[in-house]
Amino acid sequence: MDETLALRAALGCYVAALGGQRWQRVAAAALAAALALHTLALGLRWQAHGHGPFTTMHEILSSNLWSLALVLAVSAALLRELRAAAVLAAPVLAVLGLWLLLADARPGHFPPTYATPLLYLHTLVGKLFLGLLLVAVALGLVPAARRTGLGRRVFVRAADDARLDELSHRFAAAAFVFETLMLIVGAVWAQDAWGRYWAWDPLESWAFATWLALAATLHARATFRPAPARHGLWLAGVFVIAFLTFFGVPFISTSPHKGAV
Amino acid sequence: MKRAVVIALAAHFGSLRTTLALFALLGAVVLLRPALWPLSLVIGALALNLAAALVVHPALRLKLPLLVSHLALLALVVLVAIGRLTALDGRFELTQGVPFDGTLIDRDAGLLHVDRLQSLVFQHHGFEIDYAPGRKRGATRNGVTWQGDDGQPRSAVIGDHHPLLLQGHRFYTSPNKGFAPLLRWVPERGEPQLGAVHLPSFPAQELQQSRAWLLPDGREAWVMLHIDDKLIDPMAETRFTMPQQFRLVVRIGEQRAELTPGQSLAVSGGSLVFEELRTWMGYRVAYDPSLPWLLAAALLAALALGVHYVQKFSGAARPAPQHLRGARIG
Repeated sequence: MDETLALRAALGCYVAALGGQRWQRVAAAALAAALALHTLALGLRWQAHGHGPFTTMHEILSSNLWSLALVLAVSAALLRELRAAAVLAAPVLAVLGLWLLLADARPGHFPPTYATPLLYLHTLVGKLFLGLLLVAVALGLVPAARRTGLGRRVFVRAADDARLDELSHRFAAAAFVFETLMLIVGAVWAQDAWGRYWAWDPLESWAFATWLALAATLHARATFRPAPARHGLWLAGVFVIAFLTFFGVPFISTSPHKGAV
Repeated sequence: MKRAVVIALAAHFGSLRTTLALFALLGAVVLLRPALWPLSLVIGALALNLAAALVVHPALRLKLPLLVSHLALLALVVLVAIGRLTALDGRFELTQGVPFDGTLIDRDAGLLHVDRLQSLVFQHHGFEIDYAPGRKRGATRNGVTWQGDDGQPRSAVIGDHHPLLLQGHRFYTSPNKGFAPLLRWVPERGEPQLGAVHLPSFPAQELQQSRAWLLPDGREAWVMLHIDDKLIDPMAETRFTMPQQFRLVVRIGEQRAELTPGQSLAVSGGSLVFEELRTWMGYRVAYDPSLPWLLAAALLAALALGVHYVQKFSGAARPAPQHLRGARIG
């Protein structure tokens, strides 16, 4: 099967999963099909180019769409409360999917500094961080959404605000641990690749700012004990910074962080 | 009275509100001006805030994993400071076959750094660098030799994320590398002198392969490497190789000559011999004795935090005493 065809079929299934929210089994089946097809597309690309999806915007969007959907699907399978809330993660997946369709699909150069197991570890913990944070945001935004008429109707069967807030906090805490690990592995890799573990290049600065923002949110929850709706909005703010760090900074900055020369 | 004021001040400074204010300040510094002094001031203030919090918030001390995690963060700050004070970051270029003598082109060393570079002798023996179409640099393989602590000769192939490790110093290859014509100045009177001209980086500055070289008598010799081969085809997968067809254009004053290895240009006062063509490699040397401790402290902080959350969310955490129930930490 052709990689492009598999990817487009996967994107179609993602759309079906979003559209089928009223029928949760249909949505779950569509999401499973989307993930299977997307895995196939990524595997075919990996086989064709001899390296994983780590180098171009197309590859990074594709692999992150896949990992976010996977973390969301696994979390929803394990956590009943997330199934109704998952729709709030849909805009993020939709943005990535649309952006992916517009991104240049030509292969990129695999820099020599990427030939290390640290690449896979850094990517793994980074994807877990972003995926868990997205789940936290989806759960945490339900109380805020319920303040609107539409939100009250859509989330009528979702868990109560206190429960969603607690779950959201748990996922945010897990995301924080993985983000910390991502920074540590990244620093080890930077030391090996460039002879310094931290140099405040734009991506490092934004990654640290994301870590600080999440640390501040976790501390602020303990300090101010915000209402669930407000806590959810704080987490959404952190996700915006994380999104900019992952998909904005590496591609608008000319810093050496990408490794390619 | 005095003690009460101190405790009140410590409680105020060690509060989570202060932590949040300092987080905001640190975020602003990181995104706007991540320079040494602003960062040091804010991170130092955060370390004091954490130290004060550990004193005034018993709840923070009762949760062992959380305590360990925060202590590891404090250790991290101290270790970074020690590292900055003792570290060395330098750059140098080395001609193929010439021992490193400790001379750096630029260096950034901490106040307490003790320079031992002159005892770290190694030589490089040429390199291979792969290029993908578009002249995209691939793997670098640089052969080096040195003498081990036991006096035995050692060799290794370094490059990219495989540095040469000598007494805690890490020597990394850099993207800067090029050709180095080896020249011998033979004066009419006195001893001949050998030197290498490091031509600009190749292939980055392929069309500017020239450089001026000062002769021992103060005159300037201008040399340019003219390569007849197409060394790195931009359209194909290729490898950095030594040219087979080349000439060295030498100009001293009004005299000009095109030399191949072994040929010389005679001028008043002596002659300049083009001995052979070698390569040079640019290196980065990094020394930071705190690195393994930094990694250990960072991992400890992350793992202890993970354990704290697992305990907290699984309900395994020991309940705080009644008088501390109001203080939620983490």
